[in-house]
Amino acid sequence: MQDVSAISGNSIPADEPKLNYINNGHTLKSWLLTKDHKRIALMYLLSVSAFFLMGGIYAAFIRLELLTPASDLLETATYNKVFTQHGILMVFFFLIPAIPAILGNFLLPLMIGAKDLALPRINLLSLYIYWIGGIITLWALMKGGVDTGWTFYTPYSTTFSNSYVMAVGIGVFINGFSSILTGLNFIVSIHTMRAPGMTWFRLPLFVWAHYATSLVMILGTPVVAITILLVAIERFARIGIFDPAIGGDPILFQHLFWFYSHPAVYIMILPGMGVISEVIAGFSRKRIFGYEFVAFSSIAIAVFGFLVWGHHMFVSGQSVFAGLVFSFLTMVVAVPSAIKTFNWVATMYKGSISYDTPMLYAIGFLGLFLVGGLTGLFLGSIGLTVHLTDTYFIVAHFHYVMVGGQVIAYLAGIHYWWPKMTGRMYSEFWGKVSAMLVFVGFNLTFFPQFILGYMGMPRRYASYPEELQVLNIFSTAGASVLGIGLLMPVVYLIHSLFYGKKAADNPWMHPGLEWRTSSPPPTENFKEMPVVTWEAYDFGEESGLDIEEARRREAVTV
Amino acid sequence: MTAHGDTHEHHEPGLQHQFEDMNQQEESVSIAMWAFLAQEIMFFGGLFTAYLVFRWRFPMAFAAGSNHLDPFWGGLNTLVLIVSSLTMALTVYYAQKGNRTLQVAMIVLTMLFGSVFLGVKAIEYTDKYNHGLVPVTGWNKKVKEDTSAPHVTEQDCTQVGHGDGDDHYVNPKGEFQWKDCSLVKLAQEKNYLTADEKIGYFTNGEIDADKFRDKVRLFYFIYFVMTGLHALHMIIGLGVMLWLLWKAWIGTYGPKYYAPVEISGLYWHFVDIVWIFLFPLLYLLGRHFLH
Ligand code: HEM
Ligand SMILES: [Cu+2]
Repeated sequence: MQDVSAISGNSIPADEPKLNYINNGHTLKSWLLTKDHKRIALMYLLSVSAFFLMGGIYAAFIRLELLTPASDLLETATYNKVFTQHGILMVFFFLIPAIPAILGNFLLPLMIGAKDLALPRINLLSLYIYWIGGIITLWALMKGGVDTGWTFYTPYSTTFSNSYVMAVGIGVFINGFSSILTGLNFIVSIHTMRAPGMTWFRLPLFVWAHYATSLVMILGTPVVAITILLVAIERFARIGIFDPAIGGDPILFQHLFWFYSHPAVYIMILPGMGVISEVIAGFSRKRIFGYEFVAFSSIAIAVFGFLVWGHHMFVSGQSVFAGLVFSFLTMVVAVPSAIKTFNWVATMYKGSISYDTPMLYAIGFLGLFLVGGLTGLFLGSIGLTVHLTDTYFIVAHFHYVMVGGQVIAYLAGIHYWWPKMTGRMYSEFWGKVSAMLVFVGFNLTFFPQFILGYMGMPRRYASYPEELQVLNIFSTAGASVLGIGLLMPVVYLIHSLFYGKKAADNPWMHPGLEWRTSSPPPTENFKEMPVVTWEAYDFGEESGLDIEEARRREAVTV
Repeated sequence: MTAHGDTHEHHEPGLQHQFEDMNQQEESVSIAMWAFLAQEIMFFGGLFTAYLVFRWRFPMAFAAGSNHLDPFWGGLNTLVLIVSSLTMALTVYYAQKGNRTLQVAMIVLTMLFGSVFLGVKAIEYTDKYNHGLVPVTGWNKKVKEDTSAPHVTEQDCTQVGHGDGDDHYVNPKGEFQWKDCSLVKLAQEKNYLTADEKIGYFTNGEIDADKFRDKVRLFYFIYFVMTGLHALHMIIGLGVMLWLLWKAWIGTYGPKYYAPVEISGLYWHFVDIVWIFLFPLLYLLGRHFLH
């Protein structure tokens, strides 16, 4: 076993400031040209948050417009742009990079005991590509924006839309390479950078989840990249590859688009599942139930995720036989997600649970992801979906998995690792308040949308019949609560940077490698190369993780 | 998995700070290149899918378009690339052997073949441009020069033969030029037409030259996107080779350290292989209709 004192978290941080990755170099250049994965992660955090804020502002406008049945606040054409841009910013510039590029970048090398990712320069390059893609997209939004929906469906996007489809398409195309490079880097690092003794089955599940995500990133993203490039060229040269009026095939576009974008929805949930595995095991102080099942279910999701894209096209004229097959495979792909959910709950069973902020978020995730996943099954059954497709039911479904799943997991992760990233503790009280508000606000916003959709309210319209107003008011009211819940962390986390209590190296008394270095970690991550002799999630008291004992010691020293 | 164990400092050439030893670095770089190539396969895969879907639907238009590509140039380029793969492989071999002179010579040869390939592509592209076969509005020499030309052909499009470049048919839309529908006629007589073709080439039971032209144009669109992206990969490859040339010149590589040569080679071979698929699909399929 490890030397107990080395990992005991409650050594009081020394007074004189130690050299860590944040204060190791203060110039702008030392940030912009850094190869340190931790600094790159922080720069991603800032950029991704900016995009999240912008996407959120668009969302606010959508909900305000829908407060009343008539389309009064925005012109319908503007409304089209608003929901399109909301979707594009949120999906491509927030949700996809959020957990991998921020938490993954920061934690992966720490968790496997490496000095850095295998390809630090490629890592920096991916950040710059993200910036370039982002700037092109923002430029296009300033010039007039797009109104095609985030799915860029042809022939609308190729022929009828007079907006900046090409520029945004190129922005998204470029941005895709940023996630390809991130995925590439993770795969290589997980293969070759593990510390001695860190076998595959000792890896934290966060790492397994990122491995699966990376597979999807490098195999799926290029397909959508080339598809969107084709749309851009088609608009430019006016050739019928997707436009039926001149011999093209719009269904081909949908096939190519969803071949990526269904797997992409798993890019938007697998990393979150990784975070949840860490948080649930940690705050239940128990080894995760069925480690191998959780690990391989990630891989299964990545593989089967490539086989179900047709469930987005049930009503687009694909053959009935194809519909049946895709419907069946959709049921199959839900199984690994269910396995994970059962295992998380089983992990909590008889665990010694503490309700710190990250855990509150994680428990919220369990409930919301459950609803999101099950309604996915509704949508995957070939009869019911005809009634529900293109209604608010879909909108509610994917927000339950994307916001209720990924965003909440992201928040859980940010809170969980904040002490490690910044060396500061945030206010636990406000953390809990925000977790509750987000949960309540989220449900208030999106649950009514299931009902609205079931009653037949179509998505992507600025107006709706009078009798649907009550539920829409609920939804808009919920969105305000959700908005406040999401803004609160910005305030108290920034506050903690200046006034927060200094974080111990291992504030939660958790066994992962990332907790066995100082907070914040030094540039080279570990003073000495760690040698791993314990299994993952080993909460044994002999590892120095006896939390009662630690609290007693802390009480004495303070 | 690589051992991190020993902590003493290494001073091997090219060892980067995040790695413990050369072994780990080389393994990483090689996995990275393979993963990158997997990514590339998917990238071209989208295009191959588009090609297959449309060729399946409109085989005659694709055959007609394909017959206007010159298999001589295509074949020559195939040969050139295969030889360049050999010289690339020899580059790796001589790097392993530590033979600087031959290594440099092989890199120069590889670059030479790469440039010949691009030169031939340039000849072909120019030829397409001169014949009005670039499917982009306004990129058409004939229309630019010959504004007085009649706007519709006098002849019935099924009567026109193959490959004569001097006809004066000008696409009324002023862009992509095509007037030869003889293959449609042939397929109609022999009952070859696919269901999509029966709708796609005809108006009121008559062969519609404009509709057929749009399908041929689609072939050229795919041709230009695929070969264009492939050429872009060649250009990047040449850039990589230039860098290798410099490194080899200053004697970086030897029996102990040649990983960069090896993975650049992987990339080069991959780009060659893509061409090995492009050549038959674009130049050869459908040639039997010529006879
Ligand atoms: C548990 C497994 C899941 C199943 C069975 C499932 C099933 C489905 C089905 C069948 C549709 C198409 C509905 C239609 O158009 O008629 C759909 C739409 C969608 N799903 Fe899921 N889903 C699952 C999980 C997820 C996850 C994890 C995410 C994202 C994190 C997600 C995001 C989306 C999105 C964004 C759409 C709508 C796309 C659009 O048309 O704009 N889904 N889902
Ligand atoms: Cu899907």
